Amino acid sequence: MAKILDVVSASAGYNGELILRDVNFEVSDNDFIGVIGPNGGGKTTFLKLILGEIKPSTGAVNYFPNGNRQTLFGYLPQVTTIDKSFPISVLDVVLSGLQGQKGLSGWHKSADITTAKKIMERAGIAHFANNPIGQLSGGQLQRTFLCRALISNPRLLILDEPNTFVDNKFEKELYALLQELNREMAIIMVSHDLGTITTHVKTIACINRHLHYHPSNRITSEQLASYDCPIQIIAHGPVPHTILHEHHD
Amino acid sequence: MISFIVDFFSYSFTVNALIASLLISIAAGMVGAYIVARRLVFLSGGITHASFGGVGIAFYLGVNPILGAAVFAVLSAFGVELLTGRLKVREDSSIGILWSLGMAVGIFFVFLTPGYAPNLMSFMFGSILTISESDIWMIFGLTVVMAIFFIIFYRAILYLSFDPSFARTQGVPVELFSYILMGFMALTIVLSIRLVGIILLLSLLTIPPSIVNTFTKRFSSIILWSMLVAFTGCLGGLVVSYTLNVPSGATIILILIIMFIFAKVYRYISVFLKQSKA
Repeated sequence: MAKILDVVSASAGYNGELILRDVNFEVSDNDFIGVIGPNGGGKTTFLKLILGEIKPSTGAVNYFPNGNRQTLFGYLPQVTTIDKSFPISVLDVVLSGLQGQKGLSGWHKSADITTAKKIMERAGIAHFANNPIGQLSGGQLQRTFLCRALISNPRLLILDEPNTFVDNKFEKELYALLQELNREMAIIMVSHDLGTITTHVKTIACINRHLHYHPSNRITSEQLASYDCPIQIIAHGPVPHTILHEHHD
Repeated sequence: MISFIVDFFSYSFTVNALIASLLISIAAGMVGAYIVARRLVFLSGGITHASFGGVGIAFYLGVNPILGAAVFAVLSAFGVELLTGRLKVREDSSIGILWSLGMAVGIFFVFLTPGYAPNLMSFMFGSILTISESDIWMIFGLTVVMAIFFIIFYRAILYLSFDPSFARTQGVPVELFSYILMGFMALTIVLSIRLVGIILLLSLLTIPPSIVNTFTKRFSSIILWSMLVAFTGCLGGLVVSYTLNVPSGATIILILIIMFIFAKVYRYISVFLKQSKA
């Protein structure tokens, strides 16, 4: 399987303070990687690093096949930062996922709108296309952002806490959809919820200042402890363990 | 009526005022829609008032006050960025500090200027009489450049305003564009000072998009209709102020406020009627 990106001995942080140290990581086609770790451990920094939003202070992030990252990703950020009263329609939000391919001055053709409508049909939000986003529920908003991430037909879909603020029904549909999408693209999913992670992903990356990669989706508390992965687990599913060890460097 | 129209247009200053109003309404439609959508209204207020510092220094040095205002407007825009970003002052506090700093500097230098500053009041409250042909050319240049920028980069501007971090992942240079738009904002503010004055200017930028936003949630419609609403307000204000011999700036703002109230009442009633029918 072809490699999509790799991170080679990278460190990263803000204002001279390192959050992530010496991270090695790679993603290939059809991977489904769950990213877990404690709050403040560097999950968000890690996403920003691979998305190219911050540059590594040492080491490197490489994109394949040609170093171009804009057409590689579909990205679903956490919903919390959105201004719901902003004057923008659902259709326009979805279309914004194409801007990387269109270029800075790109306008949309009717073919783009057809593509958008098709994806929105699949996610069950097509009848909201011309509504302002302020009228959507949490689940509908999350579907909109998922469509925005998918419209560019990415090789790698990156999801940051996709299950916050959504109802159970949408969560079930989301995971079914992700399994389907995983046949066409690689997926990286950040989640607090270890129960979800272990039932849906193929492999796990645990981030707490360092990154530990677990090449399976089965993790025992002993394994986590031996990898120095102290995580706080809120398990809704049948994964009955809570590990609260501190990480000592 | 006919004689009124003939009278009204027979003075070159009213013709100048109408052309300036039209151009400023076009510029204010773009800038206003942007600052209202991105919640930059308070920042715009700070920049507007801080520019008075430049007016004061320009009076003292005997140079063109609009030039002084432009320098101070741009400096205060970057000053807010510096205070908030580097020195970790909370953004609304930074704006408040620079707002009053600019006003203080302005008052200080106006006081030091020997003799009476005759058109100081026109900077505070606007004066249509002071709009010259060279002002109109400057406003024209700015409006054309800004319109071209908005047409070419409309999608990028919309997306970076809505969700800057996602726009960044799509290759939109969010910081560069934010600075360019802030520059447009500062220049539009400065060139509109002659029309409505420093104290009243914020309304010219914010009331039209607020009126239009009552009826549409589409960003492009807000831009275009805001231009029309702003121009209607300016036109009405100029005619009323000419007829009643009252200050034009204040009249323009009052007419815009009346339109705003009508829009809200109309909206309220139509929603109420729709609900009572259902």
